[in-house]
Formats: sequence, C-alpha cells, structure tokens
Amino acid sequence: MKIRTAGRRAALLVALAMGAAGHAMAGPASDMFSEVDRAMATFDPVGKYVRAPIERAVPDLRFKGFVRQWTDILLEQQGQTGFQDQDYRFLQLQNLLELETSYHIRDGLDLNAVTHVMYDGAYDWQRSAGLYADRYEQSAELYTSSERLLREFYVSYRKPSFDLLVGKQQIAWGKMDGQFIDVINGMDHREAVQLESEDYEWRRMPAWMANATYHFGQNSVQLLYIFDFEQDRQALPGMPWYSPALPQTSADIMLPVRRPQADKFSDHEYGVRFDRMQGSLSYGFIYYYGWDKNAVSHIVGTELSGGQNLLRLEPRHERLHHAGITADYAFALPNMPLVGTLPMVVRVEGLYTNGVRFVDFGKQALARGGLFNDGTTKRDTMRAAIATEFGLPGRSTFILQASYYRTLAWTQNLGPGFGGGFGDEWTLIPVAFFSRPFGFTRDRLTMELTAFPVISGPDRGWQGLKTKLRLSYKISQFVKAQLIYNGYDGGATSDTYGQYNHWDNVGWELSYEF
Amino acid sequence: MNSEARAVLLAPLASCRNPWRVLVALLVWPLSMLVHAEEHAEQWQSLEQMSAQDRALFDPNTQTPRDAAIPYIPAEAYPFQAPYTAEEMGYRSSEFVHISRWPLAIVDLFGVVTSSGYINQGVSVSYTAPLGRPGLEGYIRDVKPGEPYARWTLFDTFPPESEGAQQLWLPYRTDKEHRTKMDFYVYSEQLRRVRRQPQPRRDQRFPDNSQTFDDVIGRDPWELEWQLLGTDVIYETVRFPNTRPTITLNAHGQGFVERPSASLKMMGDAYPHYRPDGGVDCWVVKATVREDWLPGYSEKTLIFWLDKHLFYPLRMEKYNAAGELMMIETRLADLENPQRGDFGYASEISVYWNVEHDLIGYSMHDGQAPRQWTEEEQKTIFTPEFMRRKWLITPIKTQALIREPDHFFLRPQLYVGRFPADRKPTVPAEVQARFDAQEAAGHLVFVTPGSAAAQAQAEPKAAQ
Repeated sequence: MKIRTAGRRAALLVALAMGAAGHAMAGPASDMFSEVDRAMATFDPVGKYVRAPIERAVPDLRFKGFVRQWTDILLEQQGQTGFQDQDYRFLQLQNLLELETSYHIRDGLDLNAVTHVMYDGAYDWQRSAGLYADRYEQSAELYTSSERLLREFYVSYRKPSFDLLVGKQQIAWGKMDGQFIDVINGMDHREAVQLESEDYEWRRMPAWMANATYHFGQNSVQLLYIFDFEQDRQALPGMPWYSPALPQTSADIMLPVRRPQADKFSDHEYGVRFDRMQGSLSYGFIYYYGWDKNAVSHIVGTELSGGQNLLRLEPRHERLHHAGITADYAFALPNMPLVGTLPMVVRVEGLYTNGVRFVDFGKQALARGGLFNDGTTKRDTMRAAIATEFGLPGRSTFILQASYYRTLAWTQNLGPGFGGGFGDEWTLIPVAFFSRPFGFTRDRLTMELTAFPVISGPDRGWQGLKTKLRLSYKISQFVKAQLIYNGYDGGATSDTYGQYNHWDNVGWELSYEF
Repeated sequence: MNSEARAVLLAPLASCRNPWRVLVALLVWPLSMLVHAEEHAEQWQSLEQMSAQDRALFDPNTQTPRDAAIPYIPAEAYPFQAPYTAEEMGYRSSEFVHISRWPLAIVDLFGVVTSSGYINQGVSVSYTAPLGRPGLEGYIRDVKPGEPYARWTLFDTFPPESEGAQQLWLPYRTDKEHRTKMDFYVYSEQLRRVRRQPQPRRDQRFPDNSQTFDDVIGRDPWELEWQLLGTDVIYETVRFPNTRPTITLNAHGQGFVERPSASLKMMGDAYPHYRPDGGVDCWVVKATVREDWLPGYSEKTLIFWLDKHLFYPLRMEKYNAAGELMMIETRLADLENPQRGDFGYASEISVYWNVEHDLIGYSMHDGQAPRQWTEEEQKTIFTPEFMRRKWLITPIKTQALIREPDHFFLRPQLYVGRFPADRKPTVPAEVQARFDAQEAAGHLVFVTPGSAAAQAQAEPKAAQ
C-alpha cells in the first residue's frame, strides 16, 4: 500500500517538474508559453471593470477582494476506516469569494467591512453516504447566515499614539506558526489536522469587541473588551475530516451547549497585551481572561436505560486565565562554512493557562456505576515553542520550530483539553520547514516542504508524521496556483496523525485577487 | 529616414489623443532623436588617454592618510577637494545610494519582466527617517557601527495580493566587527502578524526580482578597492520602449504630470552640466570587492559611470570572479532635494538587468518629497507595532505602473569595446539574440528572435 502511495507521489512530482519546465522550452513551445504569459499579465477583469470604476466614483472607498478555489482529493478511498465511512474522494471542493471595503469618513476615522461567501461542493459533487453534515449544519456546505457572511465590520478611530476599533473583528496575537498566544478568536477546524497558519485568516471566527491600543516610544499596550463569544467549530460527524477514532453517535443524552451570553456583563472577556522593542530584541506579554472555545461535557444526571446508566451530559464553556510571553531576537553569524554570513532569527512564545476543564473518563465510569460526580477535572496547561529561522543562499529559508504542550498533574483518564499534551501528559512537535524558489522559472515556482512529527509521553510515544509539499506557481500578478500534497504516516489509529493514515491527499488552489 | 526610424518617430504620436500631448511630443521627439545614442561616436578614454584637464582633477595616489578616529576612511575632510583619488570618487558616489540619505516620503514602484513576458510588479508607499544628519557624512560619523542609521517603512498598495503588507527596515552602520546589516520586520496581512525576519543576504537578488539587497541598501565605500579606468560620455541610461511614448509622473507639488518619456533627461532638467549635445561626462571607476570586508561575496568587480561633476552613479556593471557580466544597472536621476544642492540628486528610475536569467527589473521612486517628521511621528510610525495598525498616514498615488509586457524598459546598452582590459560585457548567445531583436523593434520581443511570431510581435507595435 505504502509502496503504491510512494509511486504516486513520485509520479506527481515528475508531472509538476515537467509542467514547470515550460520555462526551459525553446522554439514554438516557448513562444506559445510567452503568448500565455503576456495574455495573463493583463488579466484582471474585476480590477479593471469593477474595482477601478467603483474607486473612481467614490474616492474615499477602498475595495478589494479575491476568488479562490481549493480542492483536496484523497489518494486512496478506503471504505470503512475506524468509525468513518470513507466512501468519498473529495475532501473539499471549496469556492470562496471575499470582498473587503473600507470607507474613509474623515482623518483618522474609517468604516471597514469584510464579507465572504463559501460553497463546498464536496457534499453535492460526489456520491457519498459518509458525508452528510450539510443536512444538519448548512455552514458545512454554504455560508448563508449573517454571522458567516458578515465577516468583519468595525469602525476605526486613529490618532498617532492611539487606536480604537469597535465592531466585529479578528485579532491575531503571536508570531509563530501555529496557535500559542493566538487565543482571542475561535477557529473553524473543519479541516482538523490539515488546518495551518496560512488559512487562519479565513478560518478564524471574528467576534464583536472594542480594541484599543496606546503607543508610547518603543512600547505599546493593547486592551480588549470582548462582549460577544464565538466558540471553535470542530469537524462534525459526516464531515470529511471528522475523526475516524470517534464514534459518530453516542447512547448518552446530550443537552444543548451552555454558552456565554453577550447580554450578560459577567460573561464578557478581557485581554491585555504589552509589546516593546529594544534593539535586536523585541518582546511582549499577554493576559487574557476568556472562555474555553470548546465546551466540556459535564454530567448533570444519569438515566437508566436497558439496564445501563446513561449520562445526561451538558457541554459548558469554562472560564480560563491565560498568561503568555513572546520574544524574538535577530543576528547574523559570520564566516559559516558553505553559507558564509548566516542571518538568523530566534522566536519564542509560551502560554500558561489556569483552570482548564478536562473530561475525566475515570469519573464518567464512576458515574455510570452509580457514584454521581460531574465527570470533569481541572488542570493547568502550558504550550510553548521556540523557532529558529535561517536565511540560506539561493533565496532559501529553513525554519526549525520545536513546539511543546504539557498538562500539569496529568492522569491517564483525562480527555483532550485546551493547551495540554495530545492525549498524553506532554507532546513535542519538532517542525522542520524548507522553502526555495526555482531560478530556472525566474522564481515563479516555489517549493515548500514541511515535516510535522508528533512525539508524546509517557503513554503514546510516536503519534505519526505529517508531511506537506507545496508547489506555488505565479501565473501573473493577480493569479496564483498551488499544488499541495499532504501525507500522514505512522502512529496508532487513535493517535493525532495516526488516525488519518488513510487521508493522504493531493490538492490544488487557484486564486485570483483583484 | 528609414522605415524603422520613421516608425519609432511616429509611434508616440499615434497613441496621443490629446492635441497638447501631440504638440509636446512633436516638439520633443525630434530633439530626442538628435541625441539618440547610435548617432554619437564612442568617446571613452583610458587613463593614459585622458585630457590634461581631467588629469588635473585626478589624484592617482592610492596610499592617502587615514582618519584618526575611523582608520578605514580617508583623513581628508568629506566631501574632499580636487584633485580626487579614485577612492574619494567612490566615497562621493556612495552619497547617492538607491534610497536617498534624507528623510522623505515616496511611492516606490518596482517590477520585473521575464524573457517570456511575465510581469511581476509591486507598489509600496515608503517613509524614511535617517537617525543622524542627512547624507553620507551623517551615516559615517553620527552613528556607531552596530547601531541603526535609519528607519524605513514600506506599505504595499499593489498587487492586490500584498495590499496592506508592510515592512520595517532598520539598516545598521556596519564595520568589520559589526556585520549585522539590518533589523527586518514584516507585517503579513494574511497572517495578521508582525514577524522579525532574518536580514536578506547581501549579494542575493530578492525573489522574483533582479535587485539584490545591496543594490537597495548600498555597499560601504570602504568595502571596495577603487581604481579609475578613464572617462566616457554617455547619452542614455534608462531606455523607454517606443510603445511607451509618455509616462505620468507624480511630480511633487504639481500632481500628476504626463511627460513624453523621451524628454526625461539622465540627471533631470535642473542639472547644469550637460554637454551641448545632451551627453553627460563621466568618470569610469572600477571597484573591486575587498575579501577581508566582504568574504564570500558573489560579486567581484563593479564598474561605475559617475557623472564628472557630482559623482552621481548613472550606470553600474557587476562582474563575478570569473569576469562574467552579472548585471547592469542604469539610473535616471533628478534634483529631488534642492536644499541639499549638489547632494540633493536622487534616483527616479533605475533599471536592473540580471544577465544570467535575462530578468529586466526596475525601481521607480514617484511622488518623492523630502519630509520632516514630527517627534511624535518619529516615535510612532517607525516601530514594528505600528504595522499592526494598517495605517497609511500619507497615501501617495502613482499612475506609472507598467500595463503591458512590451511597455517595459529596454535592456541597457552593452557598450561592447569600451575599456576592454577591464570589462567584458558579453552575454549568452540566446540573450544577445533577444537584445538584438529588442534593438531592432524598439521594444522588448518575447518570442524566439527571427521567428514569424517575433515578426508579428514587432510589426503591429511599430505601426501603432
């Protein structure tokens, strides 16, 4: 099986290399290639016929947007895999249109709006019994609610040393790949383990808030008052990325989620961030008093059915205290072998979270046996990362990032919880990333290779490896294409990547920005 | 007049629908034809052939006294007095780096075209603030090695994909002990994050571009060994194609001004030292990279054409250790800061031809204006955190983007045969064929030279 997969990977790479070799062709082929290039150089219909006339008619209005088509296809269809009926090939056939407008009211005062609509054809364009989430959750297939369509909408007021932004917005704290102190907004995790930093912009769940920043010297202080709560959206049963390790139904009785209310002052959230730059060193601290974005099921009662004690479970969000740091430092190492002067940056980021609620399967078992309890346990967690980025010759970049997650006072009965190890006490992910443009394509073709090995302890050990190969090609200033391969290898069927061993996929992304 | 020349002459007129533009073009175009480079005989002179007048301005001494405080720079007070050593000429030319050494606001257009006609362009509004006195002397003496000497911000406004992306450059004064060249921060609109990046490698061109980091930031004159090769007269630097008869400039204080491209002079209208035939007298200076200062640097020799009066670098060629031509840079300058007199000239358009990949790049500084930043602005704008605010405090617009691949600037002249002992400006045969096709058509030709497609590409443009 793996040999066949490796063969397909090799064939894919050869095909990609041949496509890119169009640059090296000569004669009629090269002339045809040139004709396409010259035609595409001026291809910007929305920019020319929509954006430019609108901006000319309303000089204070700025208007931009993009259309993007993402498709991911499974390399092999496995049928029943764990609890998932993998009778589909397309993991996504997503089409996203986003429009961003900004109206300049007067000096320092602007009104900003971002709207978007997404349609995922994965549910309509293939026959599948395993994919059914669109029948009970429409946003899985098409965004129709105002909550989804109106992505951002805020008024910004600016003075040189002060900013105030009020409205629906998204905040990205932190500088690392992955989420460490980036905790303010919820996230749409429909892609589960395939979601990565470059897609956060479109997957984050913006929230209504007031956001003020005061700048003084090389320092800044940001204050957030969030009066609307947006939780994470996880991959649901009947979605392509729903965990095959989890059953799709449960005999227990699930009550509606008890979530924080916008009209209750005591449910609002607060955040503060301080940043300072000091020569080659910059650093910052954050504190965030918010809600866990994922509800944890509390036992609120039991019910006898067929001789079994079923649990009445009420998912609730938990109050959390987050404290974090971020820092980076730049320098150049002179006279290094092979590479000469080596420019480098080191980034660190860490988050300590107090009061994380975990489902406790041990306590749930006790409740099923008649010893009532709420079935949860509280623990503190931490997550941190250190990354080193190297500027190599050939416009190449190499990044090593070690990410570490730990649950303090961990016990084996604990389920997943915010910030802690992945089904274990601790988890280490030493990510390696390499990127390089190809000179023979005049840098239009860029390759990125990332490896995400997951190791944890003391229970699970090796949890699998995710490898990602991306080839991006600039068709023009406005149009870009990407081919992406994601592979999942090793680990057990209940492990972070191991559960997705049969989810190796190849995809493309075509985007036009105007 | 042959048919090709007639086509070149008529091309701008055919596309001018405004009668005033037609009139201006009618007046200016014939003048430009008079000074067309092909009509001027080569006037280069080696060191031995130089006139007595030029010899009187040149000091051949290579062992001049050193400064007491900074031992690697000349002791003579900057900006030096004639006669000038080659090293002093190099120092004077270092006054005119790509980004002017005074506080300013500009809109920076840059781009590249490949031999197939793929264009990649960008537009950034840029603010700069030196931390010492304006000029080279402020750079040398007002900040210590290992400290930043300026702050530069760039706010991208084109292409749509990078609109809102920003950069903060804090370039450092360097010496042998302090090699860090820059603190570099990037705000990614897509990631919504400010990230410190490793400084770019100095001799490496930017991705999808023909400019290197050092082409932007400049090389320190003490990193090079200077030698005068002789003198020359040049008549053109940046060359517009016959498909682009006019260019709209954002002229400081005048708004958008449409100018016949042929009317743009190498050193601007205010430069008083043009020869009667429009040429500019130049020193030709060779700079060899000093291995002790720049170990492992891929560029070995740089040859500059410096205007003879201000030492402004109008043309520069780069050669590698094997003596192969790597790049030619040409500049079109203007007096952008009259208060600084002879030191107030700045690059308006620079063209960078990377010969290895046949990449033709450009950088244009439109809407240039000296800017005195208030103390509050200095404290707030030039910080990494400011980028998160996505606030373009002074928008500067431009209409000078290149719309079609064959509107791109021509590859610079090769000047084959000049100073043959020190330069061999040969290019691969395939590139030479494209160069010849360009010279024949008056604009870039993107298809196989000599093919029917090339004929088709050349003909309609000449007839337009």
